Amino acid sequence: MHLVDIQNLSRNYGHVRALVDVSFTLEQGTIGLVGNNGAGKSTLLKVLLGLLKPDAGGGTILGCDIRHATRELRGRVGYMPETAATVPVLKGVEFVTLAGDLYGMPHRDARRRAHEVLNYVGLGELRYRRLEEYSTGNVQRLKLAAALVHDPQLLLLDEPTNGLDPEGRQSMLDLIHDLITETGKSVILCTHLLPDVERLCQQIVVLHRGTVIRAGAMAALRHAVGNRFEIGWQGPGEGYVAALRAAGVEVSLNSHPDRATVQTPAGWNNSQFFALARERDCVLTQLKPDEEDLERLFFRVTEEKGPAPTSALPGEELKHGH
Amino acid sequence: MGINNAHYYGWQGKLHSPWISTLSIVRVALLQVFRRKSYWVVIGLGVFQFLSFWIVIYAITQARLPANAQRDLYEVFGFSPSPEPGEENGYIAFMQQQSVVVMILLAFSGSLLVGSDFRMKSLPFYLSRRIDRRHYIVGKLLAVSAIVSLLTTVPALLLFLEYGMFTPSVGYWRENWGIAVSVLAYGAVLCAVLSILIVTLSAYLQRVAPIAITWSSLFVLLIRLASYLQDATDNNYWYLLDPWRDMRLVGKLCFGVFLEQEEHDIAAWAAVILAGVCAVCLVLLVRRVRAVDIVE
Repeated sequence: MHLVDIQNLSRNYGHVRALVDVSFTLEQGTIGLVGNNGAGKSTLLKVLLGLLKPDAGGGTILGCDIRHATRELRGRVGYMPETAATVPVLKGVEFVTLAGDLYGMPHRDARRRAHEVLNYVGLGELRYRRLEEYSTGNVQRLKLAAALVHDPQLLLLDEPTNGLDPEGRQSMLDLIHDLITETGKSVILCTHLLPDVERLCQQIVVLHRGTVIRAGAMAALRHAVGNRFEIGWQGPGEGYVAALRAAGVEVSLNSHPDRATVQTPAGWNNSQFFALARERDCVLTQLKPDEEDLERLFFRVTEEKGPAPTSALPGEELKHGH
Repeated sequence: MGINNAHYYGWQGKLHSPWISTLSIVRVALLQVFRRKSYWVVIGLGVFQFLSFWIVIYAITQARLPANAQRDLYEVFGFSPSPEPGEENGYIAFMQQQSVVVMILLAFSGSLLVGSDFRMKSLPFYLSRRIDRRHYIVGKLLAVSAIVSLLTTVPALLLFLEYGMFTPSVGYWRENWGIAVSVLAYGAVLCAVLSILIVTLSAYLQRVAPIAITWSSLFVLLIRLASYLQDATDNNYWYLLDPWRDMRLVGKLCFGVFLEQEEHDIAAWAAVILAGVCAVCLVLLVRRVRAVDIVE
């Protein structure tokens, strides 16, 4: 059974097409849902959760129909919204308990579980504080706890690092990474921060102007760039780099003292790397094609589809969705 | 903050019906209201009024005053524990006095109970769980109804119990059981109308000031307007503009006690007006409660 199987899904807001004929299939694991602002990520997430009804098409998540089995689906999925979405005056533990109650857990279980997940996300000491006293980072953790309270099989995280400072962001990513590795839960991470996706996800869905332009395993989508290599060596590197440059190779040194990314000229034979290393008393320890990172992958696939608009939903007053 | 080393533990259990989850919304709403210290000023007024009635009943029944003196003292408080035919039910009068406190409390708490969900975009928090907007709306209506009941119906019933307790036999309760029924009927009307109106108003206006201004306009200006128009035209149907009077008339319609024929004539219209207003408000409320709010 696929984790997510979506076929020909469309959703319009008035005459604005937010999702256009979206189809993709994803397996268990961590999935990054990426795209520019207004590409349709949040709309897709809400359609997947049954908060918005698709105008056309449909699909399943964990075998549940996203059109008709929304209650069963939500019992198996945890959703962390992008907005603050807190309830004033409540304390942390009461908020998470309320989330459990709303999922349909027995109240006593919900309360016990709220303590457990708050401990897990690192808010054990703050659980009796009122939500108004929580920092942005702690609110994000709290929302994650509320999504985890009923022990879902799949987590939908909408911009989990939004508004966090670098330290808070790192901490949140560590927490999500820990959650994935410890529990083996599947996660759909919706964000426009590509490094977050690169760090956590094995699969990716790239949305552009409401259409899916790439979906699948990240490794399979990455292009090996033909004339770019990552090289590593042992020995006196200065002479080796100078020899490479003299031979017409563009060398970009990175933070590691004996590694570099190189771009070879036309007619280059890879045996020349070894020959030049021997001449300069170096040993070549690494030679591998340079794979494009997610950022380059993203720009490549979006440029193939044309420049991104400032927003997929142009400046027009739209009324409520479903 | 570092990552806590606590391990993740799973949970296995059966999820219950989403209708049961509406009780959690009620529980949390009561928690929100009773935890706000500023609201205790208003709640305190209601409690003070209730205690005043409680003490008066206690004092009169225990002091064994002559019947005439008892009646005079009750009249000072506008209270009659066992109304004669054609006499105003004292418990209903007490509830009407309490309604003013309820009105003030709801004017301020509407924003906290409902408006904040829209203002802080918390609706996805509720509607992404296993409940849908029917459960959310019913939960919020029950929450407001619980607050209204705690300040009107419950104390009125307590006073009824108190009076019966201080009589030598259970005869008072047996002979006047209709009073308890009428209290419940009037309480139900108050709960239904006030909860639907305040939840709808708060869903649209969201912030305290606009809600309080509109709410007080509804319940103060309309009374004045109804009175002015009735004086000017001598037509009693203008009284129907007064929502308090409408609720009282519908309450009376429920237990069939009318002091004046004129009231009886317009009571059915009052029921129609309240039903119409509530129906319109419910339609507006259902349209407003959406998980996804797209503005641009």
